[in-house]
Amino acid sequence: MKTKNYLILGLFMLFIVMLLMQSCYSVRLRSVEGTYEPAAPLVRNDYYRNMEVIEIDTVITLGAIDKDFTYLIKKSDRCPSGKLHTVEYRNTLGAVLLSGITFGRKRKVKIKYVCMKSN
Amino acid sequence: MARTTKLSLNEWDTLHNNGPWKLKTLYKTKLEASSLMPSDIDRYNDAAQEIQRLLTETKNKNEGFRAYGSAWSMSNIAHQKDRMHFNAHMNTYFSFKDQDLHALSRYAAENLFLFQCGNIIKEISEKLEGHSKSLKTTGASNGQTIAGCISTGVHGSAVNVGSVQDYVAGLNLIIGPNPGDIVYLERHTKPALNDVFAQKLRSRVIRNDGLFNAALVGLGSFGFIHGVVIEAQNLFLLKRYVKKIKKETALELAEKLNFKSFKGIPEEVNSSGEANTPYHYKVFINQYREDKDKDYVVEFMYKKPFKLNYPDPFPVIKKSIYRDLVNVAVEIGSRVPSTIPLFINALKKSILPKVDETSMGTLAETFWDAPYQGPAFAISFGVDHTDSKEALKILSKVSIDEGPMPGIFAMRFIKKSDATLSFARFPTTCMIEIDGVLWNEKKKLGTLKDLSRKMIEALQLHGIAFTLHWGKNADWNFPGLVDHMYGQDAVNWRKYRCALLSEDMQKLFLNDFLKETILSKKETVLDPDLIKSLL
Repeated sequence: MKTKNYLILGLFMLFIVMLLMQSCYSVRLRSVEGTYEPAAPLVRNDYYRNMEVIEIDTVITLGAIDKDFTYLIKKSDRCPSGKLHTVEYRNTLGAVLLSGITFGRKRKVKIKYVCMKSN
Repeated sequence: MARTTKLSLNEWDTLHNNGPWKLKTLYKTKLEASSLMPSDIDRYNDAAQEIQRLLTETKNKNEGFRAYGSAWSMSNIAHQKDRMHFNAHMNTYFSFKDQDLHALSRYAAENLFLFQCGNIIKEISEKLEGHSKSLKTTGASNGQTIAGCISTGVHGSAVNVGSVQDYVAGLNLIIGPNPGDIVYLERHTKPALNDVFAQKLRSRVIRNDGLFNAALVGLGSFGFIHGVVIEAQNLFLLKRYVKKIKKETALELAEKLNFKSFKGIPEEVNSSGEANTPYHYKVFINQYREDKDKDYVVEFMYKKPFKLNYPDPFPVIKKSIYRDLVNVAVEIGSRVPSTIPLFINALKKSILPKVDETSMGTLAETFWDAPYQGPAFAISFGVDHTDSKEALKILSKVSIDEGPMPGIFAMRFIKKSDATLSFARFPTTCMIEIDGVLWNEKKKLGTLKDLSRKMIEALQLHGIAFTLHWGKNADWNFPGLVDHMYGQDAVNWRKYRCALLSEDMQKLFLNDFLKETILSKKETVLDPDLIKSLL
């Protein structure tokens, strides 16, 4: 009987772990139009190998009366056009928990983006 | 002023991880902001001046210099051990009016455009679309720069069109650091722009067919390609079909290119019972299933007049694995753990995925983005299309006997090019390519160079004339390779290079690839008028 209980508990824990793992995911948006800002030299070995990708990994804090938050993309050396080509956002269990326990005031932002090549 | 960033590096690699090779300095030049310099001609000339400054700097250090764009070539053709210049940010362009044309020009002004070297194929297509125009052909994807495309002979499978360099009408080269070292080349038998426009580019004009054709596929060794004048055409649509057909039928079409009696696509058979000739024909072959499979996957594209409101091609194009040969190989490989023997087993067991795709889109939509798929190799042989069946049989056998190798074959077709060193040398060249994932050469699979050498030897043994794609992997050290492929044309190419570039600049624009292929060899130029302007 005791072994059976442990087995059920083990399976339940496995189910919870699998469920939690599913809460980590990323979604990529890519424009069909336009050319990405190219990278040189090529140092990455992932999807963004030939792209000048910018990564944001931060926590934003919303004020008491703020309903939402807008992150502005501006012209820079790595984003000379200031226009977006690709955006990838990642959601993690930690991010969900952080937002939950702070009632949405603190939000984890993990984003990769690539700008359009400038003309 | 155009701004150049100078980076000190130890090594440089291609997009597909075919290196790395040693490198000391990487230059990256950006054009002056249009808010500070509104005239495109001024920004273009300003960039030319900046490149000349970099050439002076390089020359003073007695080092080498080489420009590159997207690093898509898998051979070391773009590499230079001293200084390399990343030119993808040099991307302005010009359109023309009748008053810009040469008096004897047979081009329509509305079809001519000058693109600065760093314009990528995709952005060129977008810029042209703004004029209701299209490129005539591209490679299987769209990420190469225009200068990189023509330097290495990038091609698609447009049976009656040719390669990217075949719609080039003029070349603006920077051949040295001095004021007279900017030249504008055209064919004397087919002039395009007048001297007034060339003067706006501060260029000396040389109209000479021999020189132009030699510089066209110049392997990055005829100076810095600053601008490329191309002839575009009206926008058109491509109706694309991917399906399986009988192996014998696919090979017969390859050998004879007689599509009129091919009834495999009922929509492309006209009312008199004759089939349309496709714009594009490509065959995919899994050599490991040669004895078992009865069918090949083939891709046909038929040219259609442009119209608005055609069905969205992206749901099909995005998911299609039959766009790029590397895609197909990687797709099969992705079903098994990432070890090469398992990958090869997967190739042996897998028939190419079943397919019956149809889509309609512009050239730019059809040959859309190809995402980075990891380290990859490609070897690509050009043969006369009448030899395609025999050559495929020989090359497949080598790939199995000398491997097995983690890659599969495809055949594409291109019309003959006028460029002296174009690998599209035959009336219609069939490019037989094996693409796949790079393997660890220490793990008893043999080397890529060995495989290429055995393939070259096998074709020579069977007396099949061939060429090799300059931007792909090969045993470029193979004794007498370039002379075997190009004969007197290789000598002529070297003569034009020696005549155009000063001794200093011949050395400056040299790299290991040119030395390996013996294209660096000095030729004595006896004819003082060899590069004289003939118009």
